[in-house]
Amino acid sequence: MTDYLLRVEDVYKKFGSKDILKGASLNMSKGETKVIIGPSGAGKSTLLRCINLLVKPDSGRIFLGDEEITGKHVNLSHIRSEIGFVFQHFNLFMHLSALENVRLGLVKVKKMRNEEAESKATRALRDVGIQDELFGHYPAQLSGGQQQRVAIARATAMEPKIILLDEPTSALDPELIGEVLRVMEQLAQSRTTMLAVTHEIGFAKNVADEIIFMDNGAVLETGPPTQLLSNPKEERTRRFLGKITELYGVSRTEK
Amino acid sequence: MNLSLESYLPYLLMGFYRTVLLTAGGLALGFVIGASLAFAEIYLPRPANNVATAIEQILRGIPLIVIFFLIYFGLPYAGIILSPGMAAALGLGLRSGGYQSQIFRGSLESIGVGQVEAALSIGMNKSSAYREVLLPQAIRLSIPAWSNEFTVVLKDTSMAYAIGVAELLKQAANIVSLTLQPLEIYLVVAAIYFVATLVVSRTMNVAYERWKIPGLGGGAS
Repeated sequence: MTDYLLRVEDVYKKFGSKDILKGASLNMSKGETKVIIGPSGAGKSTLLRCINLLVKPDSGRIFLGDEEITGKHVNLSHIRSEIGFVFQHFNLFMHLSALENVRLGLVKVKKMRNEEAESKATRALRDVGIQDELFGHYPAQLSGGQQQRVAIARATAMEPKIILLDEPTSALDPELIGEVLRVMEQLAQSRTTMLAVTHEIGFAKNVADEIIFMDNGAVLETGPPTQLLSNPKEERTRRFLGKITELYGVSRTEK
Repeated sequence: MNLSLESYLPYLLMGFYRTVLLTAGGLALGFVIGASLAFAEIYLPRPANNVATAIEQILRGIPLIVIFFLIYFGLPYAGIILSPGMAAALGLGLRSGGYQSQIFRGSLESIGVGQVEAALSIGMNKSSAYREVLLPQAIRLSIPAWSNEFTVVLKDTSMAYAIGVAELLKQAANIVSLTLQPLEIYLVVAAIYFVATLVVSRTMNVAYERWKIPGLGGGAS
C-alpha cells in the first residue's frame, strides 16, 4: 500500500472533553485532487491541521509516502515544509511584501541564495496571476483574492508533496472567489496533489477526483463527484447536500 | 540675590543630564521587565502566566513615589542599600515594566496566531517564526504607545527629587532656595521638560513613519 502519497489511519483528536475526530481515515495518491465537505464541527479543519502537524493527533497514524509523520523523533519543520497549507484567512506576513512573503521560506527553510529565491518567488507569483507591479505591495494593500493567491504561491514555491487548503475561499467577497478557484483548478490540472476543504460544489464537481463527506469526526462516505453529489449512499450526506443546494443554488448542469 | 540665566543654566543642565540617565535606565530596565512579563503572560502555562499578570498589576497599581520610598527607605531594613540614583532607576524601571508589558502584550496579541502558524506551515521552526514574523511586527506596532511611555518616564524622573537625586527638578529647587526666583527658574525647568518631551515624541513619530507596515493603521500621536 506504499503507492499512496498520503495515508491517514484512524485519527482521533480531543479538545478538552470534546471529541473532534473519531477515527478519521483517508488516502491520497500522487496527483489527485480531493475535496472534503461536511457540516461545521465535523472535524474537517482539524483533520487538515493534523496532517501538517499544526495539531497533534491523540491517536492514529499519518504517513507521507513511506514515512510515518505521527511517529516519534520526526523532524516537524522538515515535514511541514513538504506539506503546503493554505489558510482560510490567508495568514500572510503583514510586514513583508508579496514577493518577500513567498521568498521567506525559500531563504530560511530551503536555504536558497537570495537571487535564486527571488526568481523562484517571482515565478510562483506569476503562476498565480499576480502581476509584477504588485510584487512590492504589502498584504494590507492587496484585495482578499490577491492575498489568497499570494498565499497559494507561498505554499507552492516550497514545492511541497501535497497542498492542503482549508476553506480557501470562505473569507472572500463573492466576486473574488473565482480568481482563487481558477488558480486551484490550474494546480489540479498540473497534477499537484491537493486536499481541500471547501463548499464550492462547482469546483468539487469539475475538478475533484473524489469527494469526501465528513460528519461527526469521521469520514462517512467517499465517491467520485458525479456519484456522491447526485446519488449519495448515506441519508446524512443527502440531507447535507440538500442544505448546500438550498444555500448555493443548483448549478446549471444539474437542471 | 538675583542670578542670570547664564549663571544657573549650567546647574540645571547638569541636573538634566541625570534626568536623561534616569530616563534611559528606567526605560531599559522597563523594557526587559515588560518584555519578559508580556511573554510570560501570553506563552507560559498556568499558573506562571497568572503570576506575571499579578506582578504587572501590582507594579501598575502603586504610585511611583511609594515605590521609590519602599526601595530607598524600606529596603535597607532588608539589608539592601542602594544609592538614590540606583533606587530611582530601579523604581522607574519596575513601574515602567508594568506598563511596557501591557504595550507589548497588546501588540503581540493583535498579531494573532495565524501568521505564526503560516510560518510553521512552510517549515520554519518556532524561534525563527517568532524572530522573522512576530517580533518585527510587535516592535513596530508598539512604537506609538511606547513613545508615550518614553515621555511619561522622562517626566516622572522628577519624582526622584523626593529621595534626593540631583536631577533637573532637585537642582532647580536648590537654586531657588538661594535666589528666590521660583517663577523664572521653574518656568525654565518646565520649558526644558517640554522641549525634551517634544523631541522624544517627534523622533518616535519619525521612527514610526519610517518603519510602519504599509497599508496598516493610522499615524502615531
